[in-house]
Amino acid sequence: MPRAEAGAPVRIVTPLTAAASPAVTFCYHDAMRRVAVIGVGVTKFGKHDRTSAELFAAAAADALADAEMPASRIQALYYGNVVGGETEQQLHTSPQAASVLGLPSIPTTRFETACASSHAAFRHAVMEIASGASDVVMVGGAERVLNVPTADSTEYFAYASDASWEQTLGLTFPGVFALVARAHMHKHGTTEEQMAAVAVKNHKHGVLNPKAQFQKEITLETVLKSPLVADPLKLYDCCPFTDGGAALVLASEEVARVTRRPIWVLASAAASDWMLIGDKRDLSRVPATERAAAAAYRQAGKRPEDVDVVELHDCFTIAEIVATEGLGLFEPGTGGLAAEKGWTSLGGKVPVNPSGGLKAKGHPIGATGAAQICEIVTQLRGEAGRRQVDGARTGLTHTLGGNTATVLVSLFGRD
Amino acid sequence: MTESPVTVQTFFERARGGTLTGIRCGGCGALAIPPKELCPECGQRAWSPVALSGDGAIASFTVIRVAPRGHAGDAPYAIAAVRLAEGVSVLGRVVDVPLDQLAVGLKVRFRPLVVRDRSAIGFGPA
Repeated sequence: MPRAEAGAPVRIVTPLTAAASPAVTFCYHDAMRRVAVIGVGVTKFGKHDRTSAELFAAAAADALADAEMPASRIQALYYGNVVGGETEQQLHTSPQAASVLGLPSIPTTRFETACASSHAAFRHAVMEIASGASDVVMVGGAERVLNVPTADSTEYFAYASDASWEQTLGLTFPGVFALVARAHMHKHGTTEEQMAAVAVKNHKHGVLNPKAQFQKEITLETVLKSPLVADPLKLYDCCPFTDGGAALVLASEEVARVTRRPIWVLASAAASDWMLIGDKRDLSRVPATERAAAAAYRQAGKRPEDVDVVELHDCFTIAEIVATEGLGLFEPGTGGLAAEKGWTSLGGKVPVNPSGGLKAKGHPIGATGAAQICEIVTQLRGEAGRRQVDGARTGLTHTLGGNTATVLVSLFGRD
Repeated sequence: MTESPVTVQTFFERARGGTLTGIRCGGCGALAIPPKELCPECGQRAWSPVALSGDGAIASFTVIRVAPRGHAGDAPYAIAAVRLAEGVSVLGRVVDVPLDQLAVGLKVRFRPLVVRDRSAIGFGPA
C-alpha cells in the first residue's frame, strides 16, 4: 500500500521506550500452535429490543455460517459482557449466551475488563488453542444498555472507576478522558479542532459501514458547537451508548488450513496501568497501550510501519489521538496533527477505524473488542467493500478498558 | 500477616477530619497513596502512615456537565487531578474556584468534602 508522501510524519521505528515486561504477554514458541480467525459475525449496532444473549447468539450463528463450520465443532466459549448485572439484572451471562446459541454443554467463561472485555476473552481463547487444549473456540461479546436512561448507563459505566476514590466524586468516563485531553492539550498544544477532526473522519467512515449505528457525515462545526459533556469534551467527541453483539470462530492451524480464508493471529498482548487516576504519572499518555503494543510487535516480529489498517479504541476523540501515538503510528504529541491532516483517513498513510470506530459504528462495550477484530479480518480478506483498505496485509486492533487501566493489542495477517 | 497501616476506611475517616494520609515505604522510602499492600518500587511490605500537607497544584481538570444519576443535582462540578507538594497525586472535587478560573498549574489546598453522605477529597483555593 502506498505510504510515501511529502511532509510525512516521522513514524517511530525504534523499539518503544516503555518496554514490556515478560509478565504482560505470552510469545509463540516452538511448542505453541498458530491460531487463525476463520469466521466473523456482528449484529447491526444501535438500539435493539433483544437481550444481550440474543444479540450474541445472532452474531455467533453468523460467524459459524461465515466459517462454514457446524456448531458442534465449538469446544469452548470465551465471552465479554460488562454491565449485564445492572442493565439486564443478569449475571452468569456466558452459559446463558451459549444456551441461547444452542450449545448448552461447552465450557464457558465471562471476561470483564470494562470496555476491553471481549478482547481479553479473545487473547485467552488464542492461548487455549495455541496451547493445544482445543482446536476450535468461539469468542464473543454483547451488551445491552439502551433499555435504561442515559443517567443510569452513565452511572453503571462509572462503576469501572474506583468506588471509594473516584465514583464518590461523580467522575464519569467522559470526565476521565477530559482529564487526558486537558493534559494532552497542555503538554502538546493539541486543539479542540484536531479532536473534532477524529469525529468527522470516523463519521465519514461510518457512512460506508452498513452495520454502523451512525451512517451520517458531520462537520467540524457539528462537533465544536455540540454541548459540553465534560470540558473540553463535547457530545460529538464521545462515542454513543450502543446495543450489539459480535462473535469470532478461532481455529488451530491444522483446522484453519482447510478453510477458505483464514486470517492469522500474529500476536495478542495485554497490559495494565494503575487503577486510580491519581496514581497515573502522566495523563497525556496511556502507558498500558505502549506496553501492550510493544509486546504485540515483539511477538509478531512487526513494527508500527508494517501495519496497513487499524481498528482502535476511540471511545472519545482524544482517545484515538493518544492511541495512535501509543501504538507507535505517530510520534508522541503528533496524533492531533495526524487526524487534522487526514493521515488516519481511508486513503491516508495508515487508515484508522475504517469501520467508523466506536464513535460512528457504536460501542456495545462487551462486544467491542470482538467487533474490532471482525472488521480487521474483513479488511484482510479484502471483503470490506466501499471501506476496503486496498492491499491490506497486516492489521492491528487496540481495545482499552475503562479508565485506561486495561489495554489489549492484537496483530493479524493473511497468507 | 501484617495489616496495612492505612485502609480505605481509615484514609477517608482521617480525610473527613481534615488530614490527607499517605504511606511511606520503610524499605526504600517511596511515598504512595493507600491502599497498597506491597511497595511498587521495592516490593517490600513495610508501610508507615505519613500526614500530607494538602497543598498541591492542578495537573489536569474537567467540568462534569452530564453527571451520573446520583450526582446530577451537583452538575456542573469540577474534578481535578492534583499533584501534591510531596509528589503524589490524587483526584478531587474543586470547590470555591470559579469554573472559568480553573487552569493547569493552579495552586489548591485540600479540604474535606462529604458527597452523597460519603467522605471525599476536595480542593479549594490555596
